[in-house]
Amino acid sequence: MLIQAQQLEKIVETSEGPLQILQPINVAINAGETVAIVGASGSGKSTLLSLLAGLDLATSGEVLIDNEKLSELDEEQRAKVRADKVGFIFQQFLLVPSLSALENVMLPAELAGHKGAEKEARELLAKVGLEDRWHHYPNQLSGGEQQRVAIARAFVGQPKILFADEPTGNLDTHTGDKVEQLLFDLNKDYGTTLIMVTHDNQLAEKCQRVLRMEAGELAEATRDVA
Amino acid sequence: MWHKISFRLLKQELKRGELTIMALAIILSVTAVLSLSLFSERLQSGLLERSSEFLAADRVLSSRRDINQDWLEEAQSRDIKTAWRVVFNSMAFANDKLQLIDVKAVSDGYPLRGELRIADTPFVEGEVAKGLPAAGEAWVASSLFQALQIDLGDSIEVGNSAFKVTKVVTYEPDVGFSVFTDSPNVIIPYSQLEQTGLIQPGSRVRYNVLMAGSQDALADYEQWLLPQLNDDTHSWRSIEDGDSPLARSLNRAERFMMLASLLGVVLAATAVAVAAQRYCQRNYDVVAIFKTLGASRQQIRRIFILHLLLLTALSVGIGMILGWLIQSFVIDWVAQQLDAELPAATVKPYLLAAATGIISAVMFTLYPLFRLVAIPPLRVLHRQLVGAQAVRWLQWILSGGTIYGLLVLYSQQWWLSTALFAGGAFAAVLLLGIGRLLINASRKAGMQAGSAWRLAMAGLQRRAAANSVQMLAFSTAIMLLLLVIVLRNDLLADWQRQLPDDAPNYFALNIAEEKVPDLQAMFERENIEATDQYPIVPGRVTYHNGERLLAEVTKEDRDDEEREEGREGFGRELSMTWRDTVPPNNEIVEGSWWGDNAEPQVSVELNAAERLDIQVGDELTFNIGGEEFTVPVTSLREADWSTLQPNFYMVFNTNTLQDFPATYITSFHLDEDRKDELYELFRPFPEASLIDLDAIIDQIREVISQVSLAILFVLVLVIVAGALVLIAQVQASMEERQKELVILRTLGAPGKLLSRSITYEFLVLGGISGLIATIAMDISLLILQTQAFNMDATWHWRLWLVGPLTGAIVVGVLGRLSCSRLIRRNTAQLIRKLA
Repeated sequence: MLIQAQQLEKIVETSEGPLQILQPINVAINAGETVAIVGASGSGKSTLLSLLAGLDLATSGEVLIDNEKLSELDEEQRAKVRADKVGFIFQQFLLVPSLSALENVMLPAELAGHKGAEKEARELLAKVGLEDRWHHYPNQLSGGEQQRVAIARAFVGQPKILFADEPTGNLDTHTGDKVEQLLFDLNKDYGTTLIMVTHDNQLAEKCQRVLRMEAGELAEATRDVA
Repeated sequence: MWHKISFRLLKQELKRGELTIMALAIILSVTAVLSLSLFSERLQSGLLERSSEFLAADRVLSSRRDINQDWLEEAQSRDIKTAWRVVFNSMAFANDKLQLIDVKAVSDGYPLRGELRIADTPFVEGEVAKGLPAAGEAWVASSLFQALQIDLGDSIEVGNSAFKVTKVVTYEPDVGFSVFTDSPNVIIPYSQLEQTGLIQPGSRVRYNVLMAGSQDALADYEQWLLPQLNDDTHSWRSIEDGDSPLARSLNRAERFMMLASLLGVVLAATAVAVAAQRYCQRNYDVVAIFKTLGASRQQIRRIFILHLLLLTALSVGIGMILGWLIQSFVIDWVAQQLDAELPAATVKPYLLAAATGIISAVMFTLYPLFRLVAIPPLRVLHRQLVGAQAVRWLQWILSGGTIYGLLVLYSQQWWLSTALFAGGAFAAVLLLGIGRLLINASRKAGMQAGSAWRLAMAGLQRRAAANSVQMLAFSTAIMLLLLVIVLRNDLLADWQRQLPDDAPNYFALNIAEEKVPDLQAMFERENIEATDQYPIVPGRVTYHNGERLLAEVTKEDRDDEEREEGREGFGRELSMTWRDTVPPNNEIVEGSWWGDNAEPQVSVELNAAERLDIQVGDELTFNIGGEEFTVPVTSLREADWSTLQPNFYMVFNTNTLQDFPATYITSFHLDEDRKDELYELFRPFPEASLIDLDAIIDQIREVISQVSLAILFVLVLVIVAGALVLIAQVQASMEERQKELVILRTLGAPGKLLSRSITYEFLVLGGISGLIATIAMDISLLILQTQAFNMDATWHWRLWLVGPLTGAIVVGVLGRLSCSRLIRRNTAQLIRKLA
């Protein structure tokens, strides 16, 4: 079991009193699985993602990555877990605007202190079809191209888990399809566990499992797609 | 690895112009401090050197008794040049005529500063003297030729010796301004002082040792010497002491330079603070991405501290080079303008400038950096997250402490820094409060206006907190700018008033009473502008409230007085006058003027009264030509000694003095090109003595023009610093506005509406800031003028219109320019930029 959530609960304080964003949630994800978290806006899917990735802490309950309890780690140690095992793809791409495509891709490897970051980054850029654009800055790239750079960045350092938050949400259908394809292809090549938040049912169906969120509850853990 | 990331970020961000404002702010603070301190240090030592001419030395040690030879030797051993100047009154005889003279016995090296000019005919400009009169020779002032009717080569008798007159002295640097005490000067060699037999025990002689050397050597020597001096007999002077117009101008200029530079430093530091805040805010997202990708706090801290240090080092380096270039360019230009050499500067300004840049960059970034490191990784999903709100007062303490520290570092004056800082802090709190109020008020007004106005006012109010801080920055910048400009104008106007183009350049004294109408007629006929003619009666103050005052004027007096005890008095004969009206440029500060009151009474000049502790109601006894009488003091007067007009310590009402024999004095202005007429014009008045003030006036003018240039330079720097603060602030707030702009644009708001609403918002912001700045400026000015510059307080009503208008226009235009770039982009581009 690569990721486990046990009685995971999130409550935030608002001016009108506490607001329960996540009801207690239990879920287990195996290594190599592709999992889609679907649900309406405000259903809590992004919150679940942020808790599973260790970007945020649960009010109660536990997340285990590789049997390590995230609640027992401080922010630094959680950063280390992310650096070693996790990659991210975001709806807004979130590239560092002042770094070139190549430098953006190298960044996680460099932060983790890996040697040969540049070579690996160039290979990944080639795989996403941007080997000629390595020196371009994010604002010189189209949305689709930026997301391809983000995908390359997510795979650098060969993370065990990849979290994707609406990876095609900001792209037109055609570009979105191409980016999707690229994401699944690379995922297959690297054998990464993919956890993806989306409200695109077609995209969700490409995953092995679909977790449906409704009003903070994990309403059903639906079928396993072969 | 982290340092590579740091370098890379710096390189790319520099290339993309994202660090320009921050770099510019640091560069400016370093450039400003360096050029200002280099310039003022060099100019000031140049000025001091130049104005030291008025003392003929850098320092003068004077005493009523002979001066300890060891002290001279000690000075010489410290590489300080010394020369003797011994001054006393005596009589000169020639052609059966008798004239009271000032004997000046000087030793080799005199004058140590400035030049002595001599000629072969009286009343000409003359040439620089190389050397001094030889043994048995005397050089004498032009007026003595007139008085004793001698020619070059004739002999005059002084005491037991005869001196052959070999040159006319046309200009002495240390001639000073006191008109009445100056009988014609006679310069003789110091070596012959003893053989004149005029110096007896108890003689009223002023022994002066002139000294000149490096500032450091003089300061060291001063420390050694001062504890040994006797306050009663010795005095130690530099040009900055004293009450001469030059000393006042210099002191004022120095204070202005210091103040303006301080304000410049504060402005530059403010620019850095604004830019630093923005620098960190811009990196919030980057830090969130870094953290998401697994960067630790330590890595983030290292990356950004290194980034900042590299940026600072680079900017400080550029600032130093620029500062040096500007300063040397300006100095060259100034030196050319003034035909003068300015001494080289020390290493101190360089250290000061580097320290200013580094301290302001580091200290102002500390708090924003602290927040930057605390940005949570979750910001990648929730863009509004900014992490733990660190205590706000920490930022205020850090920024306040830094500004105060910089003030102290720069001025090295605790009280000035503390006063400025406390005043500034008080003003800041006040400004914040007023700003909020005005924003609220303008919101109400805006609600009734058209849509662009409504948008603008809504924007203003929504960002009230951010806006009042912004307004503080705008107001500070505008206020400091106005302050420096107004102060400069007032200062120059004040100097101009002291020395108008038609300032009297001659004193005529010793005019017989019956010749006064003739002289008056001559002035009128020749179209010469002259002051009132004042009667002069020489006399002494002998008793103050019945207590004997020591004084002597003649040898006989001296012999008598040696046997007497008493308090120190004026020490000389005074020139006294009578008048019905308060003399021009005089002001009664205590008691009242007599008007028609014919009771005998006297009005005393304030400085003299303070020196002798004379109060209104005290009784003073005068001795005039052997006749003694006692009168009450009915008023104290403040005289403006900086105008070149006759001024008197003692003024009586007409009834008291008019029966004593008097001569008359007047001052007048004669154009440069009419100088050669002087001899002819005064031929009917052979007894009149003329004192030429042109040389002194020229010197003062020259010094003032140097100082004015310096002030202009400071002004330019302060304006640049102010502009940078404004630009940095507008830029910073533009980023905050981007999101809103995108939304409105997406909703289809026309570009015109948006740019108008932003322009209006900035117009209002600038207008309010300008108004607050004007109020604050006028109050500060009032305090500064009366407390620091000894000037009359003036209100600047015109600025009450100009301030808000300028604020509105400048800030409005800057806002409009910055937003037009945003609006020109299409919406998709904007959205992508925000994403």
